[in-house]
Amino acid sequence: METDIRFTHRSIVEQCKAGNSSSQYELYSRYVDAMYNVGLRFLGNTEDAEDIVQDSFVEAFKNLDHFKYESSFGAWLKRIVINKSINHLKTKRISVVPMEAHEFHLADEEPVEAEAVDILKVKKGIAQLPDGYREIINLYLIEGYDHVEIGEILGISTSTSKSQYHRAKKKLLEIINEL
Amino acid sequence: MDNFERHIRHNAGQFDGHKADKDKMWAKISEGLRQEKPKVIPLWKRPLFRVAASVLLLLGIASFFGLAVFNNSADKTQYASKELMEIDMYYKDLVSYQVQLVKNNQALSEENKAEFLSFMDELDTEYEVLKKEMQKNLDNEQVLEAIVGNYKKRIELIENLLHQLNESKKPNGDDYGYTL
Repeated sequence: METDIRFTHRSIVEQCKAGNSSSQYELYSRYVDAMYNVGLRFLGNTEDAEDIVQDSFVEAFKNLDHFKYESSFGAWLKRIVINKSINHLKTKRISVVPMEAHEFHLADEEPVEAEAVDILKVKKGIAQLPDGYREIINLYLIEGYDHVEIGEILGISTSTSKSQYHRAKKKLLEIINEL
Repeated sequence: MDNFERHIRHNAGQFDGHKADKDKMWAKISEGLRQEKPKVIPLWKRPLFRVAASVLLLLGIASFFGLAVFNNSADKTQYASKELMEIDMYYKDLVSYQVQLVKNNQALSEENKAEFLSFMDELDTEYEVLKKEMQKNLDNEQVLEAIVGNYKKRIELIENLLHQLNESKKPNGDDYGYTL
C-alpha cells in the first residue's frame, strides 16, 4: 500500500520533470487547495499563505529532479510549504513563547489524556493558541508528523518536540473547555 | 495517542475548508517558472548527454596524461619535423664548437673576442625570436629558412674570422690586430 501512495500521480510528475507545462498545471490543480490550507494554518492570513504556496510550487517544479519518490509528491510538496511557512514566521516575529524556556520542567510533566472534541471547537481553540503552540499542534495533530519529523522541521530535539507538544495540547484543552 | 488526538487526526480533512484563488496564483507561478530556465539541468540527465560527457571526460584525461608524458620533450616537439630538429642540432653543435675555438684561440686579443661574441649574441637573440615564431607557426617555411639562415650566418662569421686569423699568421705575427 505504502508503495502505491508514494507513486501517486507518477506519470504526471514524470511529465512535469520533462518540462510539460500542462502537466505542471494539472499537478498544481490537484494540490493547490490542500497546500493553501496548510499555509493558511501556519501563517494565519491569505496574503502570506498565497505567497508562500506560490513560491513553494515554483521551487517544487524547479527542483522536481530531486524528487525521487521517497514519499508521495504531496508529502514532499507539503514539506516545502511548511518549511517556507516556518522560515517566514521566524523572520517575521520574535517567538512569544520561546520553546527552550519550557524544556526542563516539562520533561517530567504527565501527558494529558482527553476525549474526542467537536472539530469546530478544536478549530476555534487552535486559532486562539500562541504562535509557537499553534505550530506544533498543527504539525502533530493535523499534518500528522511524528516527533522525529517535527524535530527536523523546527530544528529542535525529539524530546523537546514531545514536551512542547504536551504543553500545547494542555493549553488547547484549557481553551476548548472554556468555549 | 488518546481519543482527542485520534479524532482530530482522522478528521484532519475538515481543517482544509478554504479554497485557493487558483488562477491568480497560477499566473504568479508560471511567471516565476518563466524567469529562470528550469530545463537546463534535466538535459544532463539524458542518456545522450551522459555519453557525450563521458567521451569528453575520457578525452580530457587522455590529453592530460598525454601532455604530462610528452611535456619533457616539449623543447624538441616544438620543431616542425624531425628533419628540422636534426638541422638545428647539427648547426648548434657546429656553432658551439667554433665559438669554443675562437674563445680558446690564443692569437686573438680579448677585444676581438668580445666583439666577435657580441655578434654571436645578436644572432642568438634573433634565433630565440625565430624559435618563438616557430612555436606559433609550425608550418611556416620562411621562419624555417630564417633559422637556417641564422645558423649559416654564424658559421660564415666564424669561418671568416678563423680564415683571417690563419691568413694573418702566415706572413708575420704582427698583422692580426684589425677588426672584422
